[in-house]
Amino acid sequence: MKLSFTLNDRPTEVQVDTGDEPLLWILRDTLSLKGTKFGCGKAACGACTLLVDGEAVRSCSYAVKFAEGKSITTIEGLGSEENPHPVQQAWIEEIVPQCGYCQPGFMMATAALLDKIPNPTDDDIDQNIINICRCGTYYRMRKAIHRAAELSRTNPAGK
Amino acid sequence: MNQQGMNLHTLPLRLAFFALISVGFAEEPAAKASSPGSNSSEEERETVHDTDFYKMMRVVMHQRCVNCHPSDHIPKQSEDAHPHHFGIKRGQTGQPNHGAKATQCSTCHQSENNDFSGVPGAPEWSLAPHSMRWEGLTAQEIAASFLDPKRNGGRDHDAVMHHMTEHPLVLWAWNPGINAAGIPREKPPVEKAEYIKAVKTWFEAGAIIPPAAK
Amino acid sequence: MSDNDQPKAAPTSAPTTSRRKFIVRGAIGSIGVLALGTYVFRNPIRRKILGMVETTVPPYMGSGTEPNLWFEITKDNGVILHSPKVEMGQGTFTGFAQMVADELDVSIAQIQVVAAATDTGIVDNTGTGGSLSVASLWVPLRELAATMREMLKIEAANKLGVALGDLSTKDGIISGGGSSLSYADIALTKSAAGVTAWTIPKTPKLRALGDYKHIGSPTPRIDLVPKVFGHPIFGMDAEMPGMLYAVVIRPEHVGASFKSADTRKADSMPGVVKVLQMDDWVGVIAETHTQALRAQREITVDWEIPKIWTETGIRELLQVGNGTEMVTQKEGDALDPEDKNTVSLAFSSPIGAHAQIEPNGAVASVKDGKATIILSTQVIGITQKLVAKALGFKTEKVNIIPTFLGGGFGRRLNTNHAIQAAQMSEAVGKPVKYFFTRKEEFQHDLFRPPTHHIMRGRLSEDKRLDSIEHHYASGDVAINSVMLPAVANKILGTDFGAMRGGNIQYDRIPNHRSVQWHTTLPFATSWWRSLGLLANTFAIESFVDEMAIKAGKDPVTFRLEQIGHDDIGQRLKAVIQKAADEAGYTDEAGSTNIVGKENQTDRAMGLAASVDAGAPCAHVVEVTIKNGAIRVEKVTCVFDCGIAVNPDQVRAQCEGCIVMGISASLHEKMTLIDGQLFPTIYGPYDMALMRHTPKEIDIHLIQGADKPLPVGEPPLGPIAAAIGNAVRRITGQRLTDLPMRVS
Repeated sequence: MKLSFTLNDRPTEVQVDTGDEPLLWILRDTLSLKGTKFGCGKAACGACTLLVDGEAVRSCSYAVKFAEGKSITTIEGLGSEENPHPVQQAWIEEIVPQCGYCQPGFMMATAALLDKIPNPTDDDIDQNIINICRCGTYYRMRKAIHRAAELSRTNPAGK
Repeated sequence: MNQQGMNLHTLPLRLAFFALISVGFAEEPAAKASSPGSNSSEEERETVHDTDFYKMMRVVMHQRCVNCHPSDHIPKQSEDAHPHHFGIKRGQTGQPNHGAKATQCSTCHQSENNDFSGVPGAPEWSLAPHSMRWEGLTAQEIAASFLDPKRNGGRDHDAVMHHMTEHPLVLWAWNPGINAAGIPREKPPVEKAEYIKAVKTWFEAGAIIPPAAK
Repeated sequence: MSDNDQPKAAPTSAPTTSRRKFIVRGAIGSIGVLALGTYVFRNPIRRKILGMVETTVPPYMGSGTEPNLWFEITKDNGVILHSPKVEMGQGTFTGFAQMVADELDVSIAQIQVVAAATDTGIVDNTGTGGSLSVASLWVPLRELAATMREMLKIEAANKLGVALGDLSTKDGIISGGGSSLSYADIALTKSAAGVTAWTIPKTPKLRALGDYKHIGSPTPRIDLVPKVFGHPIFGMDAEMPGMLYAVVIRPEHVGASFKSADTRKADSMPGVVKVLQMDDWVGVIAETHTQALRAQREITVDWEIPKIWTETGIRELLQVGNGTEMVTQKEGDALDPEDKNTVSLAFSSPIGAHAQIEPNGAVASVKDGKATIILSTQVIGITQKLVAKALGFKTEKVNIIPTFLGGGFGRRLNTNHAIQAAQMSEAVGKPVKYFFTRKEEFQHDLFRPPTHHIMRGRLSEDKRLDSIEHHYASGDVAINSVMLPAVANKILGTDFGAMRGGNIQYDRIPNHRSVQWHTTLPFATSWWRSLGLLANTFAIESFVDEMAIKAGKDPVTFRLEQIGHDDIGQRLKAVIQKAADEAGYTDEAGSTNIVGKENQTDRAMGLAASVDAGAPCAHVVEVTIKNGAIRVEKVTCVFDCGIAVNPDQVRAQCEGCIVMGISASLHEKMTLIDGQLFPTIYGPYDMALMRHTPKEIDIHLIQGADKPLPVGEPPLGPIAAAIGNAVRRITGQRLTDLPMRVS
């Protein structure tokens, strides 16, 4: 079956098998967008987090057929080197990543958080940011999330 | 027992049932009527729990249904009812029964089960409101709760009956999918058609809550 | 393993003495750095060498000695460093860039670091691990960079007709006598031989530490852009044209072996290209990953399951007193366990999973007698050899292209699954991408082995430790690793990986000893970040703390007065003292520090310290107990890392070790249920999340040595004991089993 959706602001069409395939694999393998990661395939680690109509979704547990007509944003669409999203800018300032594998999922989840709660408390962060980072970069992430909130206030994201 | 509003046509049948139940109660003074389907013997289930009320409650009180009707603010998971992993709890703001504002139920749960991830799904996947808590309550208390418009979202009996027999999230119980390990989830101990019939019949008969067995 | 494969030496002038300097140091032979640990405790010379294992950084031992195999100069005057060590988050690439920048005289922005593929760069025959990348390449890499700089200057001198002494270098430009040339101008000449025809001068003297601009400064990681903008840099992201996707069926039960499989249904499923039955595994190769997964479900395998292993069964095997005994430290007399003054306490740690977020996998293409494999690995050379052997190829016919790793932690010191990927590609004649499912990761990990400890001690009349003994049982860490040749198993009397942190560091205690009991368990165990350090330190430092309580002494003083006066002792004392000072460490109930129910507070501090690979580290943690959950609110960490090439990244490693340590101390536990390793998914495998991360981590770095010391692992050591010591003061309860829980 053929599906149409907006992907990082671009109209996109894909041919899929049954439509039950997780969106994650269509993005990574059919469309070669590797930024959204596979960590567990069981919606447990959050490495596959992206935005569907602005809401955080774990794409390993989201059938691609549900993407029909929606607006999908992946890390590749969150921002660019020339025009980084405040979350990405903060992530760079605080030198957050270590191995880097889980980071796109965290950044997407954080973008969703700041969209809903522009000035999150540490508690808000604890409740909403529940992805897993094995390298243990949470400490810097917390700082980066507050910094991103600050950056968003002074310089709202264009997206 | 209150037999008002009973259909005369079914009176002999009902009398027979009541007789059986009385026999059952007499033989088992310690029958755990408050938790049908758990810890009761086969025999008990057949004699005590074959009424419409108990058929309905055996489903309603199955652990996995209770999991989303917690007495606290934490959804439970699996037949062992452990607290939902990752610290998931009822949200405080926005749509509280849908979880934390930016990490809602729909971050992981969609409108269908996902066989690749083992994440269950049904339309409007969320916690029942706190007023509809069932965890730790007896069959009688739960029934009273879902009949009470102050707690059941302002529904009359007819609306409750439709909800309990038609809402996709309720009916999900019979299509619970497979878990992360690929193992099919346990279905309720009553077949779907039988449950629906029991609910309808029970409501048609006046939604009478039998007293708890002593 | 002996390496007879030398890279083809480029044509040059007669060998100079400087070239020999690059060649493998430390004539221990071809077994490699790990050979340092093969000497057992039976005679004084061996004892001395074993002592060195804990303090000496082994030399880098790679193949390939030409500077040009390391550096590539690009048209836009950039420098590509082909690094034999991989980047798995520990910051090696950035540290290397700083070292290169400071000797080669280029800017950081001009440097790109890539992991060297075996076809084109240095083959590392040991691996990236042991926290040794920066430490072991500290001198060689700077010397290589300095030599490269001088080679460029010599060529520039010739070209410009300027005296060598009149030339200066900066940001990749050589200037002198009114002229200048870029490195690219010099390197990218018309001559076919290029750099390889140049004179290799004597190794130049390295610059003074104080003269460096980049080394010692908190340079931002050079891999931030790819990691923040989602570039496809990991093994999991690799693609080859025409690639197929594979899954492999492995046993669920420990000790099970493959008998036969019924693959008939799977054979005809949509997208399935081939179902391959090999000796002990079944591979499903399909056009898409989801098709492979669907087909996998339809395959039934008949497994031979000789025994259903249980947690109890494993614990029975893994006991002090079971297995092979080896005394690794012995001073003075043994304690009589029956003596009424002897205090004994048992400790344990569970099976630990690596749980790194990027699963293992490989993309392999075997075609026309050549294999190309792209994967995340910590053992490039070893994997190359194993794949070559499995395929029946010469080693140089296998090209391993390593990528950034989505977490290593020791898991990828065994990447034998590259063999399966290659065999599957060979079978279908197309590139195949095979990666583990998360369940495969959890059941086919090379786990941190469970451990069992018995600590014994006795106080003297003046309330010091007169005797202390650490008896401990562990599964394999180093033993049976692919990193060691089979013969090493015979030579090894002790598993020196399990031994990390296992010796008593308080050498003023007159009688102290450490005895290891080794057992090989029925499932694979091996290297997990810091190896035995975390569990060993948990046992020893919890016990020392308990004895301080018995002695009625403040635990800082109690420790300090029992540490020796040698260099490492002084440095250990320094970190302990500083941690206590910075944290304002006091025992809640004053110097007698016995907290029972009467004095119960809900917040207390705990202190612990360890020395690992010559790098002492002390933690003071501040812990609360809320709703039955142990919470680490703050950690003060003092770490003597020698020279901090990148202080920001050293701090990042401390932060990461602390979080990983909290996770292992309070959350993580693998077990066995009905003969299967369990759990097989995050969530049930409980791990520390954002909410478990301390609000404050206060890190102090001390430079106690004149070279960079191992950084990635040592800060893990003290965390479990520090938490246990804090909990002891809140509840009065001595927790002895990881993960710690309060009842």
